[in-house]
Amino acid sequence: MDITRAKIRDLRKALDSKQISAAELCGEYFKNIEAGDGKVQSFITVTKEKALEMAENAQKRIDSGDVSPLTGIPLAIKDNICTDGIKTTCASKMLENFIPPYNATVIEKLNAEGYVLLGKTSMDEFAMGGSTQTSAFAKTKNPYDLERVPGGSSGGSAAAVSASFAPAALGSDTGGSIRQPASFCGVTGIKPTYGRVSRYGLVAFASSLDQIGPICSDARDCAVMLNAICAHDPHDATSSRQPVPDFTEKLGQSVSGMKIAMPKEFYSDDIDDEVKTHVMNAAKTLEAQGAKLVECSIPGLKYAIPAYYLIACAEAASNLSRFDGIKYGFRGEGRTFEELIRDSRSKGFGEEVKRRILLGNYALSSGYYDAYYKKALALKQQIIKEYNAVFDLADVILTPTAPTPAYKIGAQDNDPVKMYLADICTVTVNIASLPGISTTCGYTAEGLPVGMSVIGRRFDEQTILQCADAFEQTFAPTAPAKL
Amino acid sequence: MAVELKTIQHLCELSKLNYDEAGLEKVMGEMGDIIDLMDTIKTFDLTYDDTKDNNSISLSEVREDVPQPSFPTEKLLSNAENRDNCYVVPKVVE
Repeated sequence: MDITRAKIRDLRKALDSKQISAAELCGEYFKNIEAGDGKVQSFITVTKEKALEMAENAQKRIDSGDVSPLTGIPLAIKDNICTDGIKTTCASKMLENFIPPYNATVIEKLNAEGYVLLGKTSMDEFAMGGSTQTSAFAKTKNPYDLERVPGGSSGGSAAAVSASFAPAALGSDTGGSIRQPASFCGVTGIKPTYGRVSRYGLVAFASSLDQIGPICSDARDCAVMLNAICAHDPHDATSSRQPVPDFTEKLGQSVSGMKIAMPKEFYSDDIDDEVKTHVMNAAKTLEAQGAKLVECSIPGLKYAIPAYYLIACAEAASNLSRFDGIKYGFRGEGRTFEELIRDSRSKGFGEEVKRRILLGNYALSSGYYDAYYKKALALKQQIIKEYNAVFDLADVILTPTAPTPAYKIGAQDNDPVKMYLADICTVTVNIASLPGISTTCGYTAEGLPVGMSVIGRRFDEQTILQCADAFEQTFAPTAPAKL
Repeated sequence: MAVELKTIQHLCELSKLNYDEAGLEKVMGEMGDIIDLMDTIKTFDLTYDDTKDNNSISLSEVREDVPQPSFPTEKLLSNAENRDNCYVVPKVVE
């Protein structure tokens, strides 16, 4: 058996029973990375030396019986999550040489478990994009078809798990950036409720929408990862004080009696027919297990894209104003302070990041604020109300994760509007601060994975994990060919 | 909707960004298309009262105002060009 295709829980057994050492295990993943990542380009930084040191420390814990669920488990981390002493670039020339002087809270929590860092994964620059093609350093390919995108912005993390370069990874999700690449790469990714996971040390894109979450090979591994990273954090004022349950608790429980809503707007003509068919078939599978399908409507979906982009870009324009070429990051040239800042930002940021800063400042500027930004906030409230109404009728919501399967590299280049519209299935979950999980529910005739999303009430990750797991138990995934 | 050159120039000013002539023309076209998409929001007729409606994110209680150990200055400045724990900036005065 190829151990690099094993789940985290099986790796735990193999490590604890001494079938393999922590160093040998991470060596197996490095073999895959060295053989295949030249083609996939999922990593920006590979931390082999650091990994072996961490594996040795993990082994000492295993040998002494001081074991946590992730002790000795190798993981990949998206390159917008700060790692003390290890480059964190956000896939941007602006932060090409940035070495954080501290760890993000999620990294501290993983360190406490004794995890092993394999490396930092590629992403769309500053998490702005859905293809990982705006990365300044590694334009990641889809392991199922190297001519196609892996999705984004956490495309490096999803591709790394899909290609067996890591058993699991952390990503971040502002408008679908965990779920959509998980869908394109045939893996499972969960965006927790806003506030469930600390954002301290996550380089901010849109602070009211950003959330860190895991990408794994199934819902059960996602639950194990969530158990490790969720908790209140005094360093993040938006971190929730809600009690954190055991996310594995409802796994394996039947979905009999569970009410699953299917809002008609998510099954419109704008959604690819093959995608719709696979998601509808998955709904029938869950129905056959005793779940009840509920028809409903979320009319606000038609305004979701402008509402999302106006809020996200307004926040991004503000968050990215800190990059001035003075304190850290890329420094340009100029004879005056103003010239220096403008040159640093113009040369340090890529085209998509600059477009979003311009849009954000447009929405916030005098004369446009009420018409755009305030209107978007009103829509946010409307979308929350519509979701609340659906959750009066149902326990979870089932939708496609993306309108199409993974598309060819270059298909959306030079067309930002087309790129933005492709986020239609995911952005409302961030707008309403809800948890959502994407898992594979079928493959197209060309062999590309199709993802479905299960959306839950705020802080009810347990039920969406239960539902995704119930489907996964009936479904045989097909891994991509070994690279 | 076409976006006027002076609007784009104003946004570049606010955003601290430079474009050359060709870049400015390209971004004008792209922003026109993007703003057309954003304009669909105008057909939505709900008003927003930020004194009543902003209930989607509740900030947790802020932590107690107790002094905590901070980062060493040297570490904080490790990504800046620094000398003697100060930023070094380019000379911008004659």
